Amino acid sequence: MPSSRTIAPEIQYASLAQQGETAQIGMWVFLVNETLFFGALIFTYFLYRLSYPSEFAVAAKDAVLWCGSTNLVLLLTSSLTMVLAINAAAQGRRSEMVAWLIATLALGFLFLGFKGYEYFEDVRDKVVPGLNFEMKPGEAPAGELFWVFYWVATGLHAVHLSIGIGLILYMLLWRIRRGEITPTYYAPLEVVAIYWSFVDAVWLFLYPCIYLVGRS
Amino acid sequence: MSIAAFEPGAEPAADVESSNYLTARNTIASWLLTRDHKRIALLFMASITFFFFVGGFAATLMRMNLATPGGLLQPSVYNRMFTMHGIIMVWFFLIPSIPATLGNFFIPLMIGARDLAFPRVNLASWYVFNLSGLVVLFALVMGGADTGWTFYTPLSTEYANGYVFAAAMAVFINGFSSIMTALNFIVTIHRLRAPGMTWMRLPLFVWGVYAVSVVMLTATPVLAMDTFLLAVERFLGVGLFDPSRGGDPLLWQHMFWFYSHPAVYIMILPGMGVVSEIIPCFARRPVFGYAGMVVALMAIAVLSFFVWAHHMFVAGISIYAGVVFSLMTFFVAVPSAIKVFNWTVSLHKGAILFDAPMLYALGFVLLFTLGGITGLMLATLAVDVHVHGTYFVVAHFHYIMVGATVSAFFGGLHYWWPKITGRLYPEIWARFAAILMYFGFNLTFFPQFVLGYLGMPRRSYTYPPEWQSWNLLSSAGASILAVAYLMPLLYLGWSLIWGRRAGPNPWRATGLEWTIPSPPPSGNFEHTPHVALGPYSYDPERGRYISQDGTSHAV
Amino acid sequence: MSLEVDPRRAGRLPFIAAWGIMLLMAGMSLLTAFLRMGVWAPVLEFTIAALQVAILFILFMRLKGPPSLRWVFAASGFFWLLFLYGLSMTDYATRHSWPTQRVEIENPRD
Repeated sequence: MPSSRTIAPEIQYASLAQQGETAQIGMWVFLVNETLFFGALIFTYFLYRLSYPSEFAVAAKDAVLWCGSTNLVLLLTSSLTMVLAINAAAQGRRSEMVAWLIATLALGFLFLGFKGYEYFEDVRDKVVPGLNFEMKPGEAPAGELFWVFYWVATGLHAVHLSIGIGLILYMLLWRIRRGEITPTYYAPLEVVAIYWSFVDAVWLFLYPCIYLVGRS
Repeated sequence: MSIAAFEPGAEPAADVESSNYLTARNTIASWLLTRDHKRIALLFMASITFFFFVGGFAATLMRMNLATPGGLLQPSVYNRMFTMHGIIMVWFFLIPSIPATLGNFFIPLMIGARDLAFPRVNLASWYVFNLSGLVVLFALVMGGADTGWTFYTPLSTEYANGYVFAAAMAVFINGFSSIMTALNFIVTIHRLRAPGMTWMRLPLFVWGVYAVSVVMLTATPVLAMDTFLLAVERFLGVGLFDPSRGGDPLLWQHMFWFYSHPAVYIMILPGMGVVSEIIPCFARRPVFGYAGMVVALMAIAVLSFFVWAHHMFVAGISIYAGVVFSLMTFFVAVPSAIKVFNWTVSLHKGAILFDAPMLYALGFVLLFTLGGITGLMLATLAVDVHVHGTYFVVAHFHYIMVGATVSAFFGGLHYWWPKITGRLYPEIWARFAAILMYFGFNLTFFPQFVLGYLGMPRRSYTYPPEWQSWNLLSSAGASILAVAYLMPLLYLGWSLIWGRRAGPNPWRATGLEWTIPSPPPSGNFEHTPHVALGPYSYDPERGRYISQDGTSHAV
Repeated sequence: MSLEVDPRRAGRLPFIAAWGIMLLMAGMSLLTAFLRMGVWAPVLEFTIAALQVAILFILFMRLKGPPSLRWVFAASGFFWLLFLYGLSMTDYATRHSWPTQRVEIENPRD
């Protein structure tokens, strides 16, 4: 295992500290973009739900609550493991950092697993607009819009989560293995952690949108 | 902390006097994998110039078709021409033009930095842009879309049988390029300013690019979602925008214009920044009301988000919404007007030099004013009912996007040409081209105001014969305009080989970019500049000007 | 990312406690769905979600602490959404022909 190399800042930076801080700020700026991207989608959801409350309530009954809730717990826990990995990085506890990152990965994969199973259930329940959507009484026709939102939102979320998984793998197999993450400079890992927690935040909003409609 | 003080030793020293960013390492790989913001600026310049001529070719065919009522093109081909002209000009020329070329090149130089905050993201932005360009070329070559650049549903989702999906996906991908560029500029301007370069000492071009980056960052994702949902509806046949299935076609338009109205400000704000650089330099006076100009730029950026439904006055929105958006549109005109006043007053008691950049800048102010006033006419609900969807609108937005923005782009190109290339362009030819462009432009588009007022609808391949003379004038103007656009290609290209070599500061300007050699070395500054004062310290009464690093020069 | 190890980063407890609180809040949200609260249910559920996101942002994503510039960006995304939601509602809340597929027609003037 190579020991930590001395990393020099890029030519436009005065110090590694400045480079790291700027990288973090860059990720927050990117999240403005992501907030508006998902926010626009949630806007269409809100508009249609406000306009068709009873249809949405009927349509949402087919959402698989236990899958959504399990996934919520998994993601919240993964944010915890991710932040514990950062703590370990800050303190130079390399193997602990790797362990927490692997735990985060595992939770991410578990999420995708449950999501995949839920999609399988959804196909079986015939709630795929454009594929096999079966209109239920009291739902027509606007209830289908709930399911359009469901597939677009959870699909895009899953893509973002997969990118997060890819970023963690990149950290583990490339940067950390080459010793580029040290207590002096672990900003790339922080940046990935911010992105990861944002993906968690999106799910926190999607959860009441999808799984808590029309349950009473 | 936002101030950078970097050490000069980090990069290989440029010992050879002639080594600059152009000559250092000249392999293809060194260009295609460069992290140097100056090279990336030139890469973007090549891409957008290419698309300018593709979009211009579509416009040529359109104007040839409209020269007579009988026309030249099949109606369905004409529809595809105006669609592709709009898509290519908006997303593949106008939006990236000034930010990705002049912005990329000069933002680090003007703030005293050695590069942007994220050079690899900058390069990635160019590749993503080209990827989106390939997709749009594919759509074009395969026959194009015919929905208009606005992709309104349900034509785009259900009935159009052109390459709508490809065109929409090209726009979607293109958005990522915008977002990456914007992100880079915002972070760079916040964090990499040289010591002494406070926010209120920034050149107005930097403020203009900052404002445009804020708009790009916040508006583009909504378009991304809208085009994504368009593709979902077209591909899967769902009813998101279909009234018979509970959807709302106007929802598509709301989200589209939530982006596309700020987008038109994306297209003008950098131009305003460029003009704010040129006018002080060629009037030899500081700009009037610097703080007001800054506030106006940021106000335009924010207010631009409050007006979008003025594109939808007759689309079926509630009349109350129409009133709200009309009022908001009147508000957004105020900061623009302030800027026009300030540019004009900046000329007062100036020792004005009529070099080509100044000709373009002055043309900008006049054409922008005309475009802006007609915008206010369109903002008036009672007027818009009559002229919406006519050539009045077409003339209005071309006055801004072509008359103003393209003038500013050419002005900036000429102003900074010596710095970018180390060569002086031939001044007589440049002035001639600028004046020719001004006349050609007005001849092309002023008749269109008349046509719109008379009722000629836009996006129509033919028209009643009594309107032919106006259309003929417009097409004649377009041919003059085409010559005026081709001329710079020729004489700027000529100057690259035979032009006189330029010194560091041929225009005797005050920005930091003029304190380094022309062309600049790869690392921009050998030592961190220390900024002593604000921009535009031109002092003709005392016969001197002071660069931002504090060095005083005799005029 | 600073040269000295930030002593605040040494503690795990705040994060574990916050995680526990977020799980509890999620449980509350779930419970809210099953109580007959009418229109207040989504209000409460989304408020809880917003609070959870606030904890994530401020604590887990380390918004508290320098550089404070990040707050501007963190807030501006949501702020900008207000423009979209708010101004769009000037149309949707007042357009008589919306929504199109409601069974009961509120305004026969359509």
